[in-house]
Amino acid sequence: MLKVPDHLKKVRKINLSKQYLIDFETQIKEEYEQGLIRGPIHLSKSNEDILIDLFQYVDKDDWVFSAWRNHYHALLHGVDSDELVRSIREGRSMGTNSTDPKFYASSIVGGIIPLALGTSLALKRSNSKNKVWCFIGDMTMETGGFHEAYKYSKNFDLPLQWVIEDNDMSVHTPTDMAWGTKQTPPSDVIYYKYQMEYPHHGTGKWVNF
Amino acid sequence: MELESGLIFKMKYKEELIKAMKWLGEQEDTVFLGQACKVSGHAISCTLVDVPEDKRVELPVFEETQMGISTGMALEGYVPITMYPRFDFFILSTNQLVNHLDKLELMSEGKMKPRVIIRVAVGSKNPIDAGPQHTQDHTEAYRKMLTNVEVVQLTEPEQILPAFKHAYNRVDSKPTLFIEYGEYYGTK
Repeated sequence: MLKVPDHLKKVRKINLSKQYLIDFETQIKEEYEQGLIRGPIHLSKSNEDILIDLFQYVDKDDWVFSAWRNHYHALLHGVDSDELVRSIREGRSMGTNSTDPKFYASSIVGGIIPLALGTSLALKRSNSKNKVWCFIGDMTMETGGFHEAYKYSKNFDLPLQWVIEDNDMSVHTPTDMAWGTKQTPPSDVIYYKYQMEYPHHGTGKWVNF
Repeated sequence: MELESGLIFKMKYKEELIKAMKWLGEQEDTVFLGQACKVSGHAISCTLVDVPEDKRVELPVFEETQMGISTGMALEGYVPITMYPRFDFFILSTNQLVNHLDKLELMSEGKMKPRVIIRVAVGSKNPIDAGPQHTQDHTEAYRKMLTNVEVVQLTEPEQILPAFKHAYNRVDSKPTLFIEYGEYYGTK
């Protein structure tokens, strides 16, 4: 069950179903295996219910920052599915972005963290009612970049909600093996665990391009 | 400064920087970021004397995060003037500069054009040499790494105000990296 901080309220209804999300990734998987997508893809599966629940708290005018496995986040935030498919086919699965809705994903570990921080600082200076959502993995949570940004966002009460998506992996490296242990996420950070069903990259099938 | 010939030589480099910052500070959407931008601390700090205090955001020492903050603010419509007192320290921001600010326009097919104005100072070697970790000039390396951010060396006082005005007004919204020379603050 997803635990969200008490001050967050549901602000929108999500009309996309779990099956819709699964079917979207299945379509991308099939196109990739046919050699139609000439760029890396990172597919989601098994966290549909949690994300459908969570995105009810995300306002349509909020910023969402995500990483390489971002298709679900983009769709749930309102990125047009046809546009997303076009972008993926053109090789931009890892760098999905949009200005309406406001969405940015990057595939460099921790790269979105300072951007999310700055965007939230801008929203606060503009007295905006909107906020920033920053989705990161469990390995990224262990980085120094997260710790300084989290500290700054908390100390200056920035409208920035951190979400840790824990699959205990950084590419193929188990996070707890690499660090010796794992940290307990801060209590005001939304945290959930999930199991990867697709490999980190691709579909698990050899593709001849 | 009085020369041996008796002529009075008026230094303008720092004055022009002050003038340019004052002009930028008068623009509604600008914000000034960095360490020692609200307090004194280094040469660049001294050029912000005419910038309203509420436009200046004092940041911790986290160079890479500073560059990302600047880019993030620009995504929300601000024009950040982000400042690094030494090129040697600025290197720490390179990931955010090269992988994000420089590539955003390309990655977003032109939808995202964060206009960020970056000021970096090359440490002076005269009259005091601050040594190998505080005086390097890596301008050429950054010209090679950057594809979208324009790199501009500020070598003459006359170029300073027009160059900053152009960076703010340019229609293509490209970010600009200005390289300043600490030595010129006291010699030009």
